[in-house]
Amino acid sequence: MTLTPEIIALLTLDVIFLGLGTLALILSLRIAYRWDYAAVTPLQYRLTKQSTLVAVIIKYIFVLKLPLFLFFIYTCDKLSAVITGAMCASGVVNSIGFGLDLTLFKLFNLYGFGFWLLLHAEDASHVRLAYTRLKLILFALLCVPLFTEIILEIGFFTRLDVSKIVSCCGTLFSAASSSASLSLLFNVDARVWVGIFYLVYTVSLIALWLKSTAGVIVSNTLFLIFALISLIVFFSTYVYELPTHRCPFCLLQKEYYYVGYGLYVMLFTGTFCAVGGGLLASITHTIPYRYWRLSGFFNTAYVVSISAYPLAYYLKNGVWL
Amino acid sequence: MLFSFRWLLLEYAVRSLFRRFGKNFFIFFILSFLIFILSSVLMIAESIKAELNATLKTLPDMTLQRFVAGKQTLIPVSRVDALLEIQGVGSVTPRIWGYYYFKPAGVNFSVVGLDAYEEPYSATMARLIKDVDWTQRSPSPTMIVGEGVKTILRENYYNDFFNFITPEGQTKKVGIAGVFHSDLALEANDLIVLPKQTAYEIFGMNASDATDIVLKVSANVSEIPTIVAKIIEKFPDLRVVTRDDIRVSYQNIFDYKSGFFLALFCVCAFAFFIIVYDKSNALSSEEKKEIGILKALGWDTDTVLQEKFFESFILSLGAFLFGLATALFYVYALQAPLLRAIFTGYSTLKPPFALPYTLSGSMIVLLFLLSVPVYIAATLIPAWRTSIVDADEVLR
Repeated sequence: MTLTPEIIALLTLDVIFLGLGTLALILSLRIAYRWDYAAVTPLQYRLTKQSTLVAVIIKYIFVLKLPLFLFFIYTCDKLSAVITGAMCASGVVNSIGFGLDLTLFKLFNLYGFGFWLLLHAEDASHVRLAYTRLKLILFALLCVPLFTEIILEIGFFTRLDVSKIVSCCGTLFSAASSSASLSLLFNVDARVWVGIFYLVYTVSLIALWLKSTAGVIVSNTLFLIFALISLIVFFSTYVYELPTHRCPFCLLQKEYYYVGYGLYVMLFTGTFCAVGGGLLASITHTIPYRYWRLSGFFNTAYVVSISAYPLAYYLKNGVWL
Repeated sequence: MLFSFRWLLLEYAVRSLFRRFGKNFFIFFILSFLIFILSSVLMIAESIKAELNATLKTLPDMTLQRFVAGKQTLIPVSRVDALLEIQGVGSVTPRIWGYYYFKPAGVNFSVVGLDAYEEPYSATMARLIKDVDWTQRSPSPTMIVGEGVKTILRENYYNDFFNFITPEGQTKKVGIAGVFHSDLALEANDLIVLPKQTAYEIFGMNASDATDIVLKVSANVSEIPTIVAKIIEKFPDLRVVTRDDIRVSYQNIFDYKSGFFLALFCVCAFAFFIIVYDKSNALSSEEKKEIGILKALGWDTDTVLQEKFFESFILSLGAFLFGLATALFYVYALQAPLLRAIFTGYSTLKPPFALPYTLSGSMIVLLFLLSVPVYIAATLIPAWRTSIVDADEVLR
């Protein structure tokens, strides 16, 4: 276990989240159980007040989780200078068995809590607070991945061993990878993944144009998955201008002008607006034009900027990697 | 709108902070003091690490030490030829150096033996002795000393020579030929450079032995791991310390030191946040009345909450910026009196070096995360408690 200032900061905030999250969970379970908008009892009056506390706590957690996600990746990047063999965050993340799960949980929680806030905004502007019970049950469900993430993170940092030798991204993200699913990605021709990526993007645009809620949700979920796969298998090599270097984490380093932060923000915002807006639409039965316009904008921005890399490479060098 | 921004509310929050100046100023003062201490410590650690990393670049590629029964001992110089046979090895230099304890002042001098014709084994060493007339032949041996050594010797009335005491109990008189002027004061301050022969006499060592051996790789730095493996195969009693090993251990030591400090600091900060929680939890009747009037005027719970959030955000952000600014001034303009002793140790000959300016964006983010969100967390529940006050209850 190493106690760098960054790890202490992350753990401190984790403990705060755990405390406040538990409080919010207890309150929300009680409110969800006893909630009755029509009642004029002191209890209902008290519950209404308590539900604002739950909302405040969740807003607090979410607003901090956003920058903390980036900070977590940054911390791993910094630790990679200490741990033998690691050259970027992926080596550090994968040095513990559940490191990748932790990252995925973090991502899932961002989406989940982001959607919760959309629902909350909808609820607060509704005359009869129609979605209060729903949003509190949703929060209780989201608490499971939230607490799992916090426990995993504490476990991750306590188990992190700086003297252990780990693999670098060059071996993790290649056909020789020890993970079966990862090596499968590289055995399939990269052009297939890129083709699917552009296809799914087109489908998602069509779904937006047709205003089909289900279509938008499904196509954007697929878009997220295939965007990540094609990024690892194909696009990242053009960012690094090296045919063997495939890594979704090195993008975040100084050598590549921190381009990954911009790319990931575009990708995650775009897909979140689409999926979150879509789920909201299926609850409120209105079309969330604003979110979907944002989604279309960010997804297109992502596709344009990530496609620019291979194109620029081809124009400069006249060959593909 | 998910996060609508209300400027008037922000203005109201600022005025509200000033209306209760005494109470808020106390919190502001303590919070900025805590942030000041924290940022100073982290900045000093970062700065010293930068200084050490700068000197690291001038170090040789690897250093070989011999271990017998787990303790470092002397290496026979005869091994140099065997090492030169390994492919990829550029130059191999046996070093003779050690510490000389000078009792009257209670300090250790770093004594390095170097011959005039020999290539200096590090770039820094080459720079140090560049300006000094090293080749001058005088009847008695001479040495070149760091500024710190010169000062100590002068205090003990050794103005132009010094008497070393050898392990046999005899004195060895060495003249002072010059003084180093170096920017890298961290390594040259306690340094004495003298001819190899004299160094052997002072340490009472055999001329066929060396303290350790430094090795340079001829061209390809990526061959270092292979060369290390070959050396260990040939001489299993040698330990090879590469430049990368040293860099990693620096990082570990400083992360550990500042982490340790941070862990202690957390206790202090925790106590403070409990006070903040308690203070903002206890509403004065005047404050209650204010909230009551606002509610009667039509403010809803969310607006009051937002106003309270603005208050604690402005207060903590202000304290953060103020603490950060004072820390910058304290560390880089005043060179951090008192606090830097945590990192540099107490050795008399080490101190005089300037902390180089290093401030990264990530450091600011780290400090921000350790202060502002924690403060807001402490005021979250009190703010909610304030905001749910009923108008009719308090105004009655």
